[in-house]
Amino acid sequence: MSEDAGNGRDIVFRVRDLCKDYRMGEVTVSALRGVTLDVAAGEFLVILGPSGSGKSTLLNIIGGLDAPTAGEVYFRDEVLTNYTDAQRTRYRRSRIGFVFQFYNLMPNLTAEENVALATEIADDPIAPIEALRLVGLEARRAHFPSQMSGGEQQRVAIARAVAKRPEILLCDEPTGALDFSTGKVVLEVLSDINVRLGTTLVVITHNAAIGGMGDRVVRMSDGHARDIVVNARRLTTDELEW
Amino acid sequence: MRVLHKKLLRALLKTPGQSLAVIMVVLCGTACYICIASAYRNLVLTRDTYYAQYRFADFEIYLERAPRTVAARLSAIPGARRVRGRIVKDVKVDVPGERESRIGRLISMPETPEPVLNDICLRRGRYFSEGAQNEVIVNERFALHNGLALGDRIDVSIESRRYPLRIVGLALSPEYVYMIRNVQELVPSFERFGILWVPEPFAETALDMREACNNIIGVVDEIAVLDGVLDRAEQTLESYGVFAKTKREDQISNRFLSDEIKGLGVSARIVPAIFQGIAALILLVLLNRMVRTERTQIGLLKAYGYTNLQVAVHYLQFALILAALGTVGAFGVGQWLAYEMVQIYVQFYQFPLLEARVYPDVLTRSVGIALGFAVLGALSAALRAARIHPAESMRPAAPRHAHRVWLERFTRVWRRLGFAGKMICRNISRNAFRAGISAFGVMVSAAILIVGFFTVDAFRYGLHMQFYEMQRHDLKVSFQLEQGKPTYYDVLRFAHVREAEPVLEYPFEMRNGWRKKDIIVTGLPRDARLQRLLDAEGAHVDVGEDGLSLDEHVARTLGVAVGDRVTLKPLMGRIKKEREVVVRRVYRQYLGIGAYMNIDALSRLLDEPFAMNAALLRTEKGRNADADVVLRDVAAIASIVSRDRAYQAVLDTIAQSMKVMNVMLVLFAGVIAFAVIYNVTSVSLAERQRELASLRVMGLTISEVGRILYVENFVLGGLGLIAGFPCGFALCRLLIRAYDSDLYRLPFHIEPRTLIVTTILTIAFILIANLAVNVKVRRLDLVEVLKERE
Repeated sequence: MSEDAGNGRDIVFRVRDLCKDYRMGEVTVSALRGVTLDVAAGEFLVILGPSGSGKSTLLNIIGGLDAPTAGEVYFRDEVLTNYTDAQRTRYRRSRIGFVFQFYNLMPNLTAEENVALATEIADDPIAPIEALRLVGLEARRAHFPSQMSGGEQQRVAIARAVAKRPEILLCDEPTGALDFSTGKVVLEVLSDINVRLGTTLVVITHNAAIGGMGDRVVRMSDGHARDIVVNARRLTTDELEW
Repeated sequence: MRVLHKKLLRALLKTPGQSLAVIMVVLCGTACYICIASAYRNLVLTRDTYYAQYRFADFEIYLERAPRTVAARLSAIPGARRVRGRIVKDVKVDVPGERESRIGRLISMPETPEPVLNDICLRRGRYFSEGAQNEVIVNERFALHNGLALGDRIDVSIESRRYPLRIVGLALSPEYVYMIRNVQELVPSFERFGILWVPEPFAETALDMREACNNIIGVVDEIAVLDGVLDRAEQTLESYGVFAKTKREDQISNRFLSDEIKGLGVSARIVPAIFQGIAALILLVLLNRMVRTERTQIGLLKAYGYTNLQVAVHYLQFALILAALGTVGAFGVGQWLAYEMVQIYVQFYQFPLLEARVYPDVLTRSVGIALGFAVLGALSAALRAARIHPAESMRPAAPRHAHRVWLERFTRVWRRLGFAGKMICRNISRNAFRAGISAFGVMVSAAILIVGFFTVDAFRYGLHMQFYEMQRHDLKVSFQLEQGKPTYYDVLRFAHVREAEPVLEYPFEMRNGWRKKDIIVTGLPRDARLQRLLDAEGAHVDVGEDGLSLDEHVARTLGVAVGDRVTLKPLMGRIKKEREVVVRRVYRQYLGIGAYMNIDALSRLLDEPFAMNAALLRTEKGRNADADVVLRDVAAIASIVSRDRAYQAVLDTIAQSMKVMNVMLVLFAGVIAFAVIYNVTSVSLAERQRELASLRVMGLTISEVGRILYVENFVLGGLGLIAGFPCGFALCRLLIRAYDSDLYRLPFHIEPRTLIVTTILTIAFILIANLAVNVKVRRLDLVEVLKERE
């Protein structure tokens, strides 16, 4: 790809000719058909594409949840795709924060306890209450997920993901289950974390409007990364329209 | 319904482990039922036909000596159908080539075969030839265990005379299905005790009982009149000295056999119920979870027009299929167990024919029981499915609220718990019912283990108390006739005898008001060292100068306490006078029943200055057998019993069958604990797979995620184990009550080892279940699980 992650920043991920086939009975479905891509440290990368374009698969592989059929992913100097299961677990634990469309909070832990879930296994975590403050939910610390709105639950999920100070935050349709206004709050929180903590942020979405918030936008379809757009200026949430 | 059936089948295949666990539990329960119920049927049927075919008597009267014509008088009593007089006497038997003598029970039979009461079943050889005086028919096992064959010779010693007898036949008798000499022996010793059927003329001559008998057996028209007949018989026989009257139900062999059958009857009810109950509980958890997850599908089915009943039946079928599969497997396993059980019974009981049979109605009933419990377990889920409203079901179920648990009030403890601990606590409180079932399963499993091990502990302890704490002698010799003091000094002089004490045993009818009991009162010298009585605390109880020492069981059945008086009526002919005696002491014994007195006092009761008819001997170390050899040539001695050998014989026999039983129990307890924990955890895992998968995504390792489930299982298992102890103890006490009889009582004695082994096994069962769960945690597909909305 010509539009490199440039600006002289460190490269966190080098994705090279990444392919992923799923065998479903007698049919083989190709989710990724040779994706090449770099992700720079500290950038806000939006991966845009319709469902089935392979964006989630890409995210899962660079997040160490899944292994490719062919191609490599380099995490800094290491070949991520050669990692064993145990190494991938360690990698997720220390480097990566995940945020999903469905918040996946533990229903029987309070907001603060859900965040503590992450901080207890991290080396140099943010205090759970500080993480909640980061997403503006310190007042809801003692609430259970079932007592919170979808947007609030997603913010707890973000607080949980950032509390262990990951280098990279990977978000899979973080606003997919939310309405416009709560979605905007969540995006603002993510963008804020990217700026304030310098966390590399990769957001995948089918919502083209969100693309404007990122430093760069990768468009995906049919398992290919079609083009990369570098935004001259990151839009604020107030400027978003969908 | 074809498509629904397919759905059913796929649901079963989707949860193979859980389905298999349910099938296993049902299989165990059904196999147990088939095995126990078949054995029950088998024994009842075999016993009844055997008794009928060989005319087993309804009553037996032991007496000193009566003319044989008395039988005719007795059969004239209204209600008595047939009466036979015979001669029965225990004698010393020498088998050529064997150092130690055996005890033979001489029983007179007609010279020519007749359809008499208590007939013999000739297995090999022939009946006596006419006029032959030296022929004997012995019981099959005695011959077998002593290497005797037809034509071999044995020597019988009666009143200092030896009679060589030739074995012409091998036989069985309904009187000796369970062949022990007396209650104290508990288990058969085929080598050392045999039945010798001899022609009447020989018995009459050798025992000096011409035209006389000392044993009367009879049958009555119906059992209801038995007591009346026996009372009339006793009056008729008054002048002939009645020792004891025994009804069929108290006849030793029949008593042991009937107790076993009764025990089987009870087990056939309880054991399967435990398993099927557990299977029902597992199905309850499994199906309720299934209905919850398939809520939308159920609504859809109904929207398409399936009726509530069809939907309910669909879930019932799930349970029924599992139960049916378990039952089918159980047919094979159950019949095999039944076969093995019969093999054990063949060792203990002697029937002409005892073989494993298939009872179709037992099989039918076993299916009915298994399916019935399955329906019971599936019922609540089926009803829940029937009640689901199609429109409502399309909306997602209301989220279940998480709650704070009481532990959170102890803030300091709660803070230190960590997220895993918190999740476990909240999960247990959120699914209290399901958690309860896990703990319950472990409790049942632990209780089964405790009861199983307890029977061994109690038996060993009871035997040890009886044979080594109470009995301190090596040999007990019984004399043909009562002896005076000089015999005691004679005994002391025999080679290898280090110590001796005289004993006088005399049968009495002991009475307190309407309560009475036939019992042998044993006279011991004061400060007896070779036979001790011990109280409940294990303290020594001395026979003192006068008064009776009764064992607790006798005191309880007669309703007497220390200081009360009982009436003693001698059951041997010579003395008729009844005496009142004070109960001075109560002691405890576990085998048989007992009553003791000072030997001088007992002699005086019989109007003698001193009498003895047995002696207890302590031999020089390791010279037990040598002393036996010396003593067996003494004509006056009727029998010699070695304590070590008696103890070993009981232990060997019992230990063998207990080992088999315990292996089964451990297996069963394991299946129960495993099946319950594995299933409940699997359901919990399925319900929480999103939760657990997101923990994996966050970087928790498989074992860290698994630990949340495992620790929960150990917490619940621990609670179950703790509850299992008192539950097991309570069952032990029930068992003690059920087995409380004149034959033996089980002490409430549980070795610490039993508790330790139970704990270790329980932990092992939970561990195995956790390992099986671990496979599922490993298979958790992170990408798949997180992609879909629950």
